[in-house]
Amino acid sequence: MRLVVDSGLWSTGPTIATPPPLVVVLEVSGAVLSWTVDDPPGDSATRITFTDLSRADWLWRVLGESGHVALAAALGADPNTNEPHGIELAGVDIVAGAVEPLRRLAAGHWLRRWWPASRQDGIAGLDRALLDVEVALLTVGAQDFFTDPTLDSDVTELLAPHAASLIMHIRDDDPRIRGLAVAGSGLADDIGVDDAGWPELFAALDDSRAALTMPTGRRDDYALAAGSGVGLGHQGDAAPIARGVASIIWSAVPPRIFDAAENTVDWSVQLTGAAVVALVRAAVIGPDPPTGIEVRLRSGPITGTGALDGDGRATLPLVDAGHRPVTESAAWDHDWTNASVIIGAAVPGVTETRETRERVRRWVRGRLDRPGGDAFLAEILAAESDY
Amino acid sequence: MSADSQLAAVLGGRAVGLPRRSVIEAAWRSIGPGVEVLSGDDGGPLSRTVKRIIDPLVLRLRANPQYSAPVVAPETAAAMLELVVASGPELRAAAAWFEILKLERRRQRIRTGNAQELYFPVCFELAVTKGPPAPHDHQTTATVLADIHRGRDRTAIEVLHEYVANPEVVARLADQLDRSWRDVRPGVTSENLADPFLAELATVLGPANSHRAAAARQRVWSAVIADATPYNLGALARSERPEKATLPWSIVELGLSSIEPQRQPTISIGSDSDRPLDRSVVDRVRATLRRALDRDALPDIPLLCEEEVDRACAPWGLLSEDKQAVLVAGIEVAVELAPLDRSVSTRYALAAQIQARLRKEAYVLYARRYLAEGGPIHPRQRQVVDDLTAYAHPYLSRLWARLHGRDVWQEPCDDVDEVRSLLEGVARSVSLDHRQRIKAMLELQVAG
Repeated sequence: MRLVVDSGLWSTGPTIATPPPLVVVLEVSGAVLSWTVDDPPGDSATRITFTDLSRADWLWRVLGESGHVALAAALGADPNTNEPHGIELAGVDIVAGAVEPLRRLAAGHWLRRWWPASRQDGIAGLDRALLDVEVALLTVGAQDFFTDPTLDSDVTELLAPHAASLIMHIRDDDPRIRGLAVAGSGLADDIGVDDAGWPELFAALDDSRAALTMPTGRRDDYALAAGSGVGLGHQGDAAPIARGVASIIWSAVPPRIFDAAENTVDWSVQLTGAAVVALVRAAVIGPDPPTGIEVRLRSGPITGTGALDGDGRATLPLVDAGHRPVTESAAWDHDWTNASVIIGAAVPGVTETRETRERVRRWVRGRLDRPGGDAFLAEILAAESDY
Repeated sequence: MSADSQLAAVLGGRAVGLPRRSVIEAAWRSIGPGVEVLSGDDGGPLSRTVKRIIDPLVLRLRANPQYSAPVVAPETAAAMLELVVASGPELRAAAAWFEILKLERRRQRIRTGNAQELYFPVCFELAVTKGPPAPHDHQTTATVLADIHRGRDRTAIEVLHEYVANPEVVARLADQLDRSWRDVRPGVTSENLADPFLAELATVLGPANSHRAAAARQRVWSAVIADATPYNLGALARSERPEKATLPWSIVELGLSSIEPQRQPTISIGSDSDRPLDRSVVDRVRATLRRALDRDALPDIPLLCEEEVDRACAPWGLLSEDKQAVLVAGIEVAVELAPLDRSVSTRYALAAQIQARLRKEAYVLYARRYLAEGGPIHPRQRQVVDDLTAYAHPYLSRLWARLHGRDVWQEPCDDVDEVRSLLEGVARSVSLDHRQRIKAMLELQVAG
């Protein structure tokens, strides 16, 4: 095993140079673990970055006792991060299989944040409650790695919003769903989740212990929350001065708002009254609303900024380099072919390309087509929903 | 402590020693059956069992710091093993208590709080004082749960409020406050009062790559906490007269006080500000009582109030010189931390290390789509992200609160490694707190 200094921290394992959404991370006590999302399962691809070696008291579970001791001795109590060549630790390696549960947990967190649900691409959404419950149960299973609280150690927060969904799930006629929901409720009971809806769930659970087989109408909406599709036709009555399509950069917007397909942002430059504006509409998928998300259009010296409304629409007044409104004749004269429309945060030096997103979709489709042993129930249900 | 184990570990050129958690795990497994409710599926102790029972009550890390090193020498490991195994009967009894407390919790339909977190220490306490639970002892379990869920701290706080409702008491404390406040003056001050001290801090907060350097660092720290400079700096922070020396920082900008110079604290008049140096004596005692949940004996309220008056008047609001020195060291670290700013460079190795961690932790938010690269991913997060740039405020508030606790309970800060890990631990918890808020701002609308 080779230890190198990466941005001031000791790290080991292959460099995971891939940007989000290709990187899968897990923050445990004293370290951040990372993998590449579409790497085949296997220990070799794990990168461990130590944020505080002295807090990584689980290390022996991953490297074996002698590996843990050797690494601690090599880095000392106060590791010098100016070591340019790194340190080679002969005979120290990750014990086969030791990080697999952690990688699976990390994948669960990734699924919660990056799953590319899309009506256009036909990728069904994941049942949020079932996914969160499964992640919560895996977190408890990995409690030895969370001696210190970290961003990923909080189980209560994962369970708290889902009382209402679980009330339905504990009566589901699918035993896999029922089993997971009951396990999640039991965990919530132990750790003291008492947010709105939970007392009702615990009561329902007591009842259902008596009559677990009671069939109910499960909502068959694992697919997608209702939302309006986007028509790719032009908006407004007048013929537009220019129009085009753009794609959402995933890492510039929060999850669970937009359809994750390409070319889902429709824009046109139009005259409304005497003003030249850009009308923008992004395909939304929910359940969260797009309200307030920023929109920017740039085409040479012409720019416009605004924010989306609840339907994913925005009207941007267009201005020129001198911040003066663009006139109708200037708009007709302008060459709009290189116009760019960006939804969300202004990302300096965008690292996320269309190819990156395509790679993620390929991997996700592969999981849906052939759910492996490491698939989450939410994924399996999405695959079965035949969306 | 860790230096010794490091030394042991590299003796003879090969690693000797054992990871402390693996020692605990092995010891636990040799206890045998009867502790299942305190164990995980794999038979090892639950993390909470270690955190709430083994560390504080069996190994008693406060008294035995040698057991807290990440890697322990073989003879230390043997001693730990012996302690844990010798506590087998108590641990089995504690497990039995936990089972009946959980039954009682279920019977009373109590849902608040994490059962393990709340009950584990009490179970061990019951095991030591009463042995295993007697059959049908509903009385004890009901009393214990009532105690825990009614809040033992609340009763103490009620006593405090009754005590300071008496005008005579308040008048007496106010007199003491006036006298104490006048007593604290900067000693001999020179223009460059802080310079030699800050130079020594560079060693304390600097790297130590050898056993010899580590020993030197400890020597410097021992000198630093005996030095009058932290006291004088704290006294200077309240001085109304122009002094020859000036404070190297602004206590308002650091978030330690809402006004400069620092004002004399009050006995009980609440201030709008939650800045450490603005707090009233009663607020400070209340904080002590809240934190006292784990302590054996609740302190005597009148004595606690009297002592707190002197503490509130002491430089930096802390009585002992070592705590004052840690706060000054913390200020020097805090002003260098900026989690989202890659351009900030640091003077101290320790601050650089903390900064590197903070950046990695910010990267995790980015990798999880809670932040865009270098900024908020949703306009709602703007305020919280801006807070991240004012890192010194929450850092120093939390550090001050921890030092206040240590000052009250007279826990020394003379071990340089412990001080450094305190400075690191505060950064860790502030960072987690910030990140949870960034996350929460995104997830606001999802609930329900």
